[in-house]
Amino acid sequence: MTDMIVEATVNGRRQRRPAEPFQRALDFLRDELNLTGTKEGCGAGECGSCSIFVDGVLVKSCLVPVAKIAGRQVDTVEGLARSGEMTAVQKAFHKAGASQCGYCIPGMVMAATAALRANPDADREEIKERLGGNICRCTGYQKIFDAVEMARDVLNGKLSASIFDEVDATDGKYIGVNVRRIDAPSKVTGALRYAGDMTMADMLHVQVLRSPHPHARIVALDVTAAERMPGVEAVITSADVPGQDGFGVFVHDQPVMARGKVRYVGEAVAAVAAESLADARRALAAIRVEYAPLPAVFDPEAAMAAGAPVLHDYAPDNLVKHIPIRKGDVEQGLRDAELIVEQTYETQPVEHAYLETEAGLAYVDHDGVVTVHSPSQNITHHRHMMARILNLPINKVRMIMSPVGGGFGGKEDMIYQGMLALLAMKSRRPVRLVFTREESIASTAKRHPSRTTYRMGLTRSGRILASQISIIYDGGAYGLSTEGVVRKGAILGGGPYNIPNIQIDTYGIYTNNTPSGAFRSFGSLQSQFATESHLDICAERLGLDPFELRLKNAMHTGDLTHTKQPLRSSSMSEVLEAARKVSRWESGVPNVRGAVRTDLGGEGARQPCTLTPRLSSENAEAPTARRGAA
Amino acid sequence: MLTCDHYLSPASLADALAAAAAAPDFRFVAGATDLLPWAREGRAGDVHVPVMIDVANIPELKEVRVAEGRVWLGAATPLQRFLDHVDLIGAMPGMPDCAIWFADSQIRESATIGGNIVNASPAADGIPPLLTANAVVELAALRAGAVRRRRMPLADFITGPGRTVAERDEIVVGIACDALNGYGGAFEKVGHRRSLVISTVCLSVVVRIGAEEALEDVRLAVGGVGPVPKRMTEIERALTGHPLTSDGLREVAGLCDGFVRSRSRQDYRKSVVPGFLRRGLVKAMRRAGASAAMGAIAEEVADD
Ligand SMILES: Cc1cc2nc3c(=O)[nH]c(=O)nc-3n(C[C@H](O)[C@H](O)[C@H](O)COP(=O)(O)OP(=O)(O)OC[C@H]3O[C@@H](n4cnc5c(N)ncnc54)[C@H](O)[C@@H]3O)c2cc1C
Ligand code: FES
Ligand code: FES
Repeated sequence: MTDMIVEATVNGRRQRRPAEPFQRALDFLRDELNLTGTKEGCGAGECGSCSIFVDGVLVKSCLVPVAKIAGRQVDTVEGLARSGEMTAVQKAFHKAGASQCGYCIPGMVMAATAALRANPDADREEIKERLGGNICRCTGYQKIFDAVEMARDVLNGKLSASIFDEVDATDGKYIGVNVRRIDAPSKVTGALRYAGDMTMADMLHVQVLRSPHPHARIVALDVTAAERMPGVEAVITSADVPGQDGFGVFVHDQPVMARGKVRYVGEAVAAVAAESLADARRALAAIRVEYAPLPAVFDPEAAMAAGAPVLHDYAPDNLVKHIPIRKGDVEQGLRDAELIVEQTYETQPVEHAYLETEAGLAYVDHDGVVTVHSPSQNITHHRHMMARILNLPINKVRMIMSPVGGGFGGKEDMIYQGMLALLAMKSRRPVRLVFTREESIASTAKRHPSRTTYRMGLTRSGRILASQISIIYDGGAYGLSTEGVVRKGAILGGGPYNIPNIQIDTYGIYTNNTPSGAFRSFGSLQSQFATESHLDICAERLGLDPFELRLKNAMHTGDLTHTKQPLRSSSMSEVLEAARKVSRWESGVPNVRGAVRTDLGGEGARQPCTLTPRLSSENAEAPTARRGAA
Repeated sequence: MLTCDHYLSPASLADALAAAAAAPDFRFVAGATDLLPWAREGRAGDVHVPVMIDVANIPELKEVRVAEGRVWLGAATPLQRFLDHVDLIGAMPGMPDCAIWFADSQIRESATIGGNIVNASPAADGIPPLLTANAVVELAALRAGAVRRRRMPLADFITGPGRTVAERDEIVVGIACDALNGYGGAFEKVGHRRSLVISTVCLSVVVRIGAEEALEDVRLAVGGVGPVPKRMTEIERALTGHPLTSDGLREVAGLCDGFVRSRSRQDYRKSVVPGFLRRGLVKAMRRAGASAAMGAIAEEVADD
């Protein structure tokens, strides 16, 4: 568009390249120089996966207009180990096991490097603070802080560098042994390529038009103006699906793009493949959609009521799945009980927030095989669905699993892979789609919100005689994993307690909310939250220690589970005893402990963090006296 | 996403003003830490600005001077300078705590103090400490072919959330304020996490202690609780001129409610502000050299 040229020294080499005036330093490094070790996690300065050095100062490259690096020295993660030898920080990350999905790690390594350059003696609290702008969703940070401390000690000479090469002894053991991740070097150096890092010659960029309505009929959809726009190579809608449209994990109720109506805000309606992201975004604005809003329903109980708006014709009662479990005689158990406790518990939707947003690259190869790279947790199933959707024999569909930059269940669903395949087929060129953080949050599945109603009957001494449980899961607009989630919630719903009489009913319900899907724990977290909260309330009402109440009802070897499976081994009581001991549990009824608890903050417990270690001592008034050249 | 046809990086104020005069539609940019996140889905969405004029390289806007009881902060001074510029740390004791709580060190290296005040967020952290330093804003614009400069108190410059009196083509050149050497300062802030957080409530305190431990000068400003950050003048008056007493401190804490005019979470903010006032005073007085006994009074009340 313009003839802007950016000259800069990047990782020690002079570079002179054309650039768009509105590019960010991040785009320039990734798109023009192919330095994809610098990742985009949020694009808004929040996550730190894009950290780079500009003239030695660490900054977030997603907030740096490219013009600002002109004439500067820029260093990226690829520049740290230029000779191929990893730096002490990188080796320490590998040794300490400080990388999991790896997506945050290049930025984390950059921030750790900056921290140790600024203060070679930084203690753990200062390290925490200096890494405060970098987010990791996998590691829990402790391994990362361990790694930075290890690197510090090696750089200081307090620890021998041979530690990096030491192999952990295994002694024939498997559990509790440190095993080095074989893929860690590619993560700590930024060499690993996630789907959004992949490029192909002649590649097009994809953008998606999304529904602003929770429930509406699509009266008219006109993409002709968009198709004629400069740079646009292909526009697709549901009319372009050649086969049987529909995907999902259990029920195949979700079209690749909205077909006839939209069922939630953020649902894909059309997609564009164009020469540049900016061209694709302009084309989206030229697509005309006419909607006729329909009544929507956002509460699952309202969706179960007679006369509620119906989302899917095949499910007139908005029911995705009902799982009933029956054991013993609950009515009798409740009649025998000396105390009945009734309570309702709710949980909210939760975003996975993996640092790598959804992304994929698709092309049709020389043999006509439609190929999609994406971070998928379920590619074989995706391949089967794709063959049906594209109306191709399965040997003409290839799904390649790219490194998953955090999944937590959220990348189980096939969401955008179908659109990519269709665009590759229509444009006959490679296409790539990378979700923005906002798009990821608005359009992909969340943990199922739930409402659990618990009725429990107990004896005065704390034996549970009966549990009657109903859990309503909000499945959102499409089925995805709801059926499995509801089933797991039912199986584990009563908790690990030996209860003679139990009745569980779990329901997955369609609403016009963002679809719910798989998320770590797969439906059981919701019921466990209810069960364990309920037991604490019962302990209070019975005047019992909550540990005692649980031990009294714990399942033992030989007991029958709620689904009547005999347990061949159970160590629950031992686990509870061990937890009680190491936590220095102060026994007693939950609500009658005194003002001072003796079981907190003891030896081995993690101390609360100090928030501003660099300004810590009240009288030390030279907060940055130690600051070195960054 | 933010797109533009031209990105200009003028090397002088005159060039920047001329570029603004020549462009039909343009936008100034300094650190871009507000601008780029603003041009995203859910906020401004796709924004096209034909010309971007980057003011961060203009030498006059990067200047920092401390002399004769005054501080000059060029508008393009990054927030990180409040943590590593020795003269600024001495002359602006209200700022280091603010800066360390401001985003993270990476953002602080880009984010400028000028951008912070022009953006005029009700929760902008840089504004309360500047208010306690009696900041005056200097603006420059091209009018009838000549550079017009004007100055006004920061309190008059900001008129509402995101609103200032700056005209479209007017550049904030810098900020002049009192050098508060010998004062003690503190900054209290609460938000959702340690780093990268926009304030729910923030409060700046600077104090000078005189003979017999009288609070000779007390300046307080609060942010995040109303449309614009504000000096707490009634409370300042009540505290000034005599040593601190625990009853006096308890009494002024009762005046805090009147400052909370936010549209949301009023009760929460009302419960936070008095605590911040007490805790901020304890820290600022200690740093101003108050005796242990004085510190103890404030501390006793802080533990209420
Ligand atoms: C992750 C993150 C965390 C943050 N945390 C905080 C925080 O803790 N506290 C806080 O207060 N803020 C925070 N911010 C907001 C932001 O960093 C600050 O407001 C910063 O001071 C803005 O400065 P800038 O130079 O980047 O402004 P820019 O984005 O460049 O500009 C902001 C506005 O001011 C105008 N402008 C800038 N300079 C001038 C000038 N000299 N003359 C005329 N107009 C001008 C621009 O046109 C624009 O409208 C955060 C931002 C991010 C992304
Ligand atoms: S901070 Fe730049 S991508 Fe998140
Ligand atoms: S390893 Fe940090 S985000 Fe996955």
